[in-house]
Amino acid sequence: MSEIRKLAVAYAALLLLLVLTVGSSFIDLGGFNSGLNLAIAAAKAAIIAVLFMHLAAAGTLPRLAVAAAGLWLAILFGLTLAGQWGGAS
Amino acid sequence: MSASTQSVAFDTPAREKAADAFGMWVFAGSEAMLFGAIMLVFFVARVSYGPAFAAASKHLSLTLGAVNTAVLITSSLTMALAHFHADAGRWRAAVWTLMATALLGAVFLVIKGTEYAMEFHEGIAPVLGAPFAFSGPDPVHAAFFFSLYFAMTALHGLHLTCGILVIVGLLALSRGADPSSRARRVQAVGLYWHFVDIVWVFLFPVLYLINR
Repeated sequence: MSEIRKLAVAYAALLLLLVLTVGSSFIDLGGFNSGLNLAIAAAKAAIIAVLFMHLAAAGTLPRLAVAAAGLWLAILFGLTLAGQWGGAS
Repeated sequence: MSASTQSVAFDTPAREKAADAFGMWVFAGSEAMLFGAIMLVFFVARVSYGPAFAAASKHLSLTLGAVNTAVLITSSLTMALAHFHADAGRWRAAVWTLMATALLGAVFLVIKGTEYAMEFHEGIAPVLGAPFAFSGPDPVHAAFFFSLYFAMTALHGLHLTCGILVIVGLLALSRGADPSSRARRVQAVGLYWHFVDIVWVFLFPVLYLINR
């Protein structure tokens, strides 16, 4: 039954974060709205990955796959944005 | 050769399960590259044409988008429950929760289709040759926002449709399968389903919540 409780807590947290992210969009945070929304999205993704997809309990290999995806996305975003804002545009 | 592994490549069921999960995570990682690239295009365009994107985003239905997010989160819960039941050998409970998951996925697609119909009706769908009329500032870049919106949500909807088809196929084909291979199939389709949910978790704020 503790597994059911874990899933219920994850579900409640995801719905709470959804309410937070929609609610925050009606308040002008002066440029921090997008950052807050992305942080909330990342938190929701982490909850889904750890509690629904059992990432923490799945051993080393799935974590390696996630780390590899994160590395390549970081290169994709990092180099593009460095060229966009740091380059001679 | 143990009888409980489906493939001769594995010595034990535990190794087969781990290999299945690893394969699905690698697949999800490759899908993240696809969605990451289109999100990057959107991000750069949003930084470059901020006012046009903010004005265009206000034409999306926040209510339907938020309801759809809740629907998809609920479908992830029922999918996690299906995995839990299948792992414990309770196949009937797993079948019911899988059917609920596929049904919630279909509800998401119906709501998404309703949104599309509203947007075509309003004339803000610059796809499939539909007429585009945007009264706000900078209609050219507003059209770019809606093009990206339709590309991203349609790609996500296509993934969700595939997920529903795989669940239906799994339910049709797993009737006579042994419990451990059923559990592995539910685990695999579950990992895919949760990944598609995570994609939406990012698409929703990025598309619907720009400077409301």
